[in-house]
Amino acid sequence: MPYLALHAIRRSHPFAPSGAALSRSARSLAVAALLAAPPAAPSPALSAAPGPTLAVEDTMRTEVPEVLVRAPRVTLDEILDRVARGEARRDSLLRDVAFTATLRVVRDPDGAKGPQLIEERVSRVYRKKPGKVRTVNLRTWRLKPSKRMDAEVSFSSGTEEEIVNFAFRPEARRDFRYRIVGRDLLGDHLIYRIAFEPRSLLGATDPGGLVWVDTRDFVIVRQELDFSRSPAPLFIKGIDRAVIERQEVDGHWVLRRLLMRAHFTVPVPRFGRALDMAVQFDDYAINQGIADTVFAKAVRP
Amino acid sequence: MTRSVRGLLLRLGAPLQGAAHRNLLALVVAAAALVVGPRPSRAQDQAPPDSSLHRFLDTLADSTDHYFGLIAAPLDTAGLDSALAAGLARPWRGPRTRLRPRFGPVYAFNRVDGTLWGGSATLAGRDGRWRVGGDLGYAAGSDAWLGGGELGLGIRRRETMWSLRVSGGRRTALMNRDHGERRLASVRALLTGSDRQNYLRRDGLAVAVGANATDWRAAVEYRDWLESPLAVTTRWNLARSALAAGDNLAASPGRAREVAFGGDLRLAGSPFRAQLNHQIADKAIGSDFDYRRARLALGGEIVAGGRVSLVPQIVYGRLAGDPVPQASFFLGGSRTLKSLRSDSLGGTAIAVARLELIGVDDLLALARIPHPAMVPLQGGVFAATGAVWGVDPFGGPGTPNEGWPDRSAWMSEVGLSLLYRPGMPDENAYLRVNLAWPVGLHGGRARWSVSYSRALDLLRAF
Repeated sequence: MPYLALHAIRRSHPFAPSGAALSRSARSLAVAALLAAPPAAPSPALSAAPGPTLAVEDTMRTEVPEVLVRAPRVTLDEILDRVARGEARRDSLLRDVAFTATLRVVRDPDGAKGPQLIEERVSRVYRKKPGKVRTVNLRTWRLKPSKRMDAEVSFSSGTEEEIVNFAFRPEARRDFRYRIVGRDLLGDHLIYRIAFEPRSLLGATDPGGLVWVDTRDFVIVRQELDFSRSPAPLFIKGIDRAVIERQEVDGHWVLRRLLMRAHFTVPVPRFGRALDMAVQFDDYAINQGIADTVFAKAVRP
Repeated sequence: MTRSVRGLLLRLGAPLQGAAHRNLLALVVAAAALVVGPRPSRAQDQAPPDSSLHRFLDTLADSTDHYFGLIAAPLDTAGLDSALAAGLARPWRGPRTRLRPRFGPVYAFNRVDGTLWGGSATLAGRDGRWRVGGDLGYAAGSDAWLGGGELGLGIRRRETMWSLRVSGGRRTALMNRDHGERRLASVRALLTGSDRQNYLRRDGLAVAVGANATDWRAAVEYRDWLESPLAVTTRWNLARSALAAGDNLAASPGRAREVAFGGDLRLAGSPFRAQLNHQIADKAIGSDFDYRRARLALGGEIVAGGRVSLVPQIVYGRLAGDPVPQASFFLGGSRTLKSLRSDSLGGTAIAVARLELIGVDDLLALARIPHPAMVPLQGGVFAATGAVWGVDPFGGPGTPNEGWPDRSAWMSEVGLSLLYRPGMPDENAYLRVNLAWPVGLHGGRARWSVSYSRALDLLRAF
């Protein structure tokens, strides 16, 4: 069994564009398999327990001919162009979208007392092009209710999801530097990992980050933002981590979650020293034909 | 362990093709399953061929869940269906438009108005499409009520934001129309009497139409102002010091009717922006003054090595026609030559060039000096040269109002800056402490100054 596992790994896909990364992974798995194998499939020679003797298969080999690929590798500029087009196409295919959005705020996620949920708002959002949006509040919960707080979360009518692709819009190209960090072959999906960072060092710069791009549709399927400098050092010590996840629903890539953790320079009333904030998007209905009556406003008596 | 193995499986297993490879993959999966243990792996689930991408994303999401913990917990859907049914059944009157006016105090202090106490109120629509506001205050020194109102409308068309702004009132304005400090000048005047800016009174209104896009901005404005000089009314300050500027440059009284054009363009293929501001006052439109004032600025940022920014800026301006002081150019202060006192020289033409090097790293951290996280200090060095020429608004002899100054008019400096960006009220602005040394023909002593401005401070904010 260990031999076969190793052999299989050596015969990794000859067309894989990132051979080094795959072979490192392969080595890791091989080590894992080797470590796991003895207790799971003990050698008959070493086993003292009675029972049937198992044969060890050591004749199975495969030979895959090498293929020399002469096609030029797609340039970074071409990838960025395709991502911009892919994101635009993604948006153009959305006519109407309904989803459940959950906004959560947790204070002191790494504090001594442990994280504490201080607010949760659940809304059902209906969007229809062009420019229609309705938000139905489903649940609002606060640790300390306040009359001054607005109970309705506001959503725009747009489906562009600029928070995901802000650095990959054509007009943003010269504000950022990009580099390919890696390529991953997953089934018949080739995923590019592209890092981006703002060109400017002055003022409150845009965040940098890392995106995973599925080259089948050239859409961004995940993003991690990197705030190397605090946007407001006077109060915000730093944004430790910000993650934006997408999910595929009925063939469309849409937001799944936005998560962020920030630390403050001084304890802030209600939030403490640190804050987790998340918006989760569930229960999508895409291009189901939302009736215009959903957006019809009631006439004031 | 389980998740990492799953992740490796997903990466490895996916590219295999053909029956032999599928067999091998099955063996690898079986081997890994032993590592994973009795719990069924996601990789073993019956799934369509391309679901490996989703499982890969799930693996990353698992890691995210682990990091964020509580906030990433799944949604409790109990009661949501009934809440939705009730919410949809309820009459809907559109997005919430409940408006809350914002009120705030107004305080200012300068040597022409003394202490100004007042308040402001603002009402703004959702999405910033409209805004109406006003402020009113009583200036104890000049014994006058000062204030005004403003209405702003905005509409987005594709990537361009179009705006209309109507403003009017009676206010104390800065003589230097290119640069000015309000809050910091008030603090200086109140604490030590060291505010050197010159002021005038403006009564009237302005109507502006503007467009703001990603790579360009443009605005056209019509101004109808009655301009009048102001005398110094207040000589006290908390330090009981003598005023740094004992008088106030007198504006030429009269009605100024101007048409102003402004444009700001990002130069294609370069990190630079060019900005042109042009104002025309003409008796044909009822103005008491007749002048054409133009100012061209160019500035940008060149990042070197990812740790420092090189910031070159140049500005050139000319005033033709009536050389009224309120349309003149001024040299000196944090935004032109830091080795000169604010607005200490004036003329009907100006040229300034500055090169600044700003480091991105926190100097205190580099020096391993313990300090609060809220005080990251950056460092910078600069060199600048500039000149004003033409008619002197201060009444001096002046120099010929030609296209370029005499060589002796140029003043130069080098200096150091400590920069702190608090992130508010302007997220891009730095509070700076500067030390500048004059160099060249004019010489002089080093001068300290404190300023609050953006790095590209020769480009005017619209």
